Amino acid sequence: MAQLSFFSVALKNLKRKTFRTGVLIFAIALLVSLLIFAISFTVSVASSLKKSSERLGADLVVVPVGARGFAEEFLLESKNTSFYMPISIIEKVKKIEGIEAMTHHTYLSSISGLCCDIMPTRIVAFNPATDFIINPWLQKSLGRPLQLGEAIAGAGTSENLGLGLLDIEATIFDNRFSIVGVLEETGTGLDHALFMTEENLKNIIESGKSPLKEGNISIIFTKIKKGYDPDYVGRVLEGEIPEVDVIARSDMGEKFLNTLADINKIFLLTTFLASVLTTFLVWAIFSAIANERSKEIGIMRALGAKESHIVHLYLVEVTVLGLLGSTIGVLAGTYLSALLTGSFSLLKNISAGLSGGQQATIALIGLLVGTTICITGAMMPINRIKKMEPLLVIKEE
Amino acid sequence: MSFLHIENLTRTYTVDSTPFVGVDNISLTINKGEFLSIVGHSGSGKTTLISIIGGILKPTTGRVLLEGTDICTLDDNRLSEYRVNRIGFMFQFASLLPILTAKENVLLPGIFSPGKNVADDKAAVDLLEMVGIGEKADSYPSQLSGGQQRRVAIARALLNKPDIILADEPTGDLDEETEAEIMNLFEKINQKHGVTIILITHNLNLAGKAQKKLRMSKGRLVDI
Repeated sequence: MAQLSFFSVALKNLKRKTFRTGVLIFAIALLVSLLIFAISFTVSVASSLKKSSERLGADLVVVPVGARGFAEEFLLESKNTSFYMPISIIEKVKKIEGIEAMTHHTYLSSISGLCCDIMPTRIVAFNPATDFIINPWLQKSLGRPLQLGEAIAGAGTSENLGLGLLDIEATIFDNRFSIVGVLEETGTGLDHALFMTEENLKNIIESGKSPLKEGNISIIFTKIKKGYDPDYVGRVLEGEIPEVDVIARSDMGEKFLNTLADINKIFLLTTFLASVLTTFLVWAIFSAIANERSKEIGIMRALGAKESHIVHLYLVEVTVLGLLGSTIGVLAGTYLSALLTGSFSLLKNISAGLSGGQQATIALIGLLVGTTICITGAMMPINRIKKMEPLLVIKEE
Repeated sequence: MSFLHIENLTRTYTVDSTPFVGVDNISLTINKGEFLSIVGHSGSGKTTLISIIGGILKPTTGRVLLEGTDICTLDDNRLSEYRVNRIGFMFQFASLLPILTAKENVLLPGIFSPGKNVADDKAAVDLLEMVGIGEKADSYPSQLSGGQQRRVAIARALLNKPDIILADEPTGDLDEETEAEIMNLFEKINQKHGVTIILITHNLNLAGKAQKKLRMSKGRLVDI
């Protein structure tokens, strides 16, 4: 049989002024959805950058001096950029102590109509003999090496290229290529590129339609021997070869993350102000509630309620309120993140996504923050309520 | 050992820097199962006296001994336990919570005494039937007449099987017929359940229904 409990009394209290309860729930939901959006946004971007650099599998990335930003844009943000350095750099890098393996890429940007009959896209030419970046992906998707005159599309490029069916032909820098498949999604900026082996570059250069010159490459990926510090090896590389910049895996996307840090500050300030406002709103409403219900509280005290019972009753009320608002906020914030993240031009080319664990953790943070703010705002009025003298009630009438 | 013994009880207030004596050196012994009425003008100290007996006000000096225990020395938690387990309050106004039904109002003291046998819906309905409004169990206070609300308050006061019911002008704003019905209920509760009742009223006729009648004047007790 149903029993009267603190919970059922608290629910009835919440129902007695539905508009006021609704306003509080809305305010908390708004705050939590803002918080969830801000955290989801920054965490998804930061973890996407981290994942991208990890999936590339290189400890150090060597690029032409001054091209660090372009390289990060190409590798992480899928931007069309070209940057070159002489192939002779490879030999210089080889001589640096601690380098275990290395491979290089040459990047091109196709220009629709001028050279190619495909949408503008980025072309990655790699060396299949030394490659440890593309080969594993290729093996998984195609199961064999690429041949001369063959290309394979990154997962995000297939749509741009109008691919959907395998084995289509395309003209790239006046050379006919057979697009033999699509790689699985890797979560890196390379998802938006078209891949071919570097033996095709000779013909492309001969066509005269690309800015690429004989003996140029774009980037060198290196793996560091066990026991060597990548940062130290990177510093040695930069010291020994002044024509290059070196990006360590841990520094990948630093420029992007700096921009993100500025956005974070705005999010932080907005969330802080919203938290203060919500705390104030909860305080104001619970102060009004304390005045409204003073007689009822006095009656309860006279009937035997301890101060702790009064605190318990109102804590249940405010916690239910906080949890309801926070749950709505978590759902709204998660939906907004999914909906809006892609519309930020900053993130257009980043594969920003959160794992289930990350989403659960963010949701939990939202619930905790929303509920805590609600309880914090109500604590002062609740402490006043519990001190209510029962005799005042009797004397009042 | 007497059931309830009040010893040299004094309560003073300060109103606008002027000292005011609410209860002035009262001593009184009440036996278990007694029905006592106290009459007196407004401001004579009646409410102050039963507030001290009910443990919602501390005296300035003196003691209130219930079966030998001085309730004036209890801390707030133990006083609350004393109120919920041994005292049934009835106030001089409708004191029901508007958000709760009659049945839920009756059950309210139960949530403050979880150690006692937990009262369920049936216990509440039985009490409401005893006071004659069993059919109103699911009605809200706003749907009840003044007399019906007082009956709910009586049922609530009885929920935890108190030793003493303290009723402060419980029929103040009721018509004569309802007033008589409520008084009959008090008599029934006193006789059938042996509950000690201390009734405060300004109505001498009502006071006459009690076994023992006292008058308060300027904070002092006078026999009628």
